Amino acid sequence: MKDDYLWDRSGEPDPEVQQLEEILGTLRYQPGALKIPPDLKIDRRGNFFRRMHPALAIAAAIAIVLFGSALWFGLQRLRNNSQPQVAQAPPVNPETTPAPAPKVKEPGLNPDYKEASVATIKRRPQSFAGNRNRVRREPVINATENPKTAANRQEAQAAKDQLFLALRLASTKLKFAQRKAQNSNSQDLIHNQHRIG
Amino acid sequence: MKFPAKKTLQLATLTLLAFLGVTTTALAQDARIQTSQLEAALATKASQTVSVDLDEKVLGLAWKFLSTTDPDEKKVRDIVSGLKGIYVKSFSFENEGEYSNADLESIRSQLRGSVWTKIVNVSSKKEGNVEVYLMQAGAQISGLALLTSDPKEITVINIVGPVDLEKLSDLEGNFGIPELNLEKSKPKSKN
Repeated sequence: MKDDYLWDRSGEPDPEVQQLEEILGTLRYQPGALKIPPDLKIDRRGNFFRRMHPALAIAAAIAIVLFGSALWFGLQRLRNNSQPQVAQAPPVNPETTPAPAPKVKEPGLNPDYKEASVATIKRRPQSFAGNRNRVRREPVINATENPKTAANRQEAQAAKDQLFLALRLASTKLKFAQRKAQNSNSQDLIHNQHRIG
Repeated sequence: MKFPAKKTLQLATLTLLAFLGVTTTALAQDARIQTSQLEAALATKASQTVSVDLDEKVLGLAWKFLSTTDPDEKKVRDIVSGLKGIYVKSFSFENEGEYSNADLESIRSQLRGSVWTKIVNVSSKKEGNVEVYLMQAGAQISGLALLTSDPKEITVINIVGPVDLEKLSDLEGNFGIPELNLEKSKPKSKN
């Protein structure tokens, strides 16, 4: 038996197929206007998001902005508060604290002074370890002390030295600027005195 | 009132963009000055270089290690508290004229504009120039930039964060910081 009828209705029809066609044919598409049953109830609750989407979009945008702002300010505050939290750490024991770094003179005054960069931080305590005047105040590291703690201590000491160096320079230069400004002001006053009197 | 969906989305996008713009601007107004260009220009010319880079993390580490009992170190604690960075670059030269004003332009160009305010500007042929700039956030100082240049030395100091100038300048005389006493050292006239 050929299946042409199934493809294009050209061959000999199969009675079973014809029977099926008749049964299912009643369900085929009938062109015509859509008929809505009069008793059909439309549930409007499902359209809430559709109706309110402009307001919801604005609210979502505002919420994102507020959340972002709160997050940003929170991080800023956390960052600012991180140092005072450190202040609650146990006070530094002078016996166990390492010696302050040897005084580093201002650049230009001490020809032996080499570049003090962060890269030198770790080497510095070792390089000054032989300083006899400061041997007693070198960091006392317990045998039980964690090597990581000792390394941190050395790193902190180096950071402290760097801080002192930076503050020395900043303070000196700032004071110098203040004096220069004051001098120039007073000189201006003296220069202008002949004009006044 | 009915908003078309397209307009609503545009409005929401604009709001977000505005927020991002404000945030980016706020973040961009950092008091940190870039000195890499100056370093590159003067690295080979300078006979001595001092470079101190203390970011917030290193400052916190040093701050933790400062004594709370020693009055001098307590002063430093007060100054450092809240700071986000201290950066110092100092270049010393063997001879005069080894650098030019163009080398300093990379620093000065960052200090121009509405963000920084020049509070001190002293020019002296003998002793060089001193420029002090402040960045302010409201009533509070949020950054300091100090640029000194004399014939044989250039120093750029940049402090990021709320700095107390009075306390900072009062440090002179402590921790081996020499008191310059310029007025006293001047030769007195015999008259």
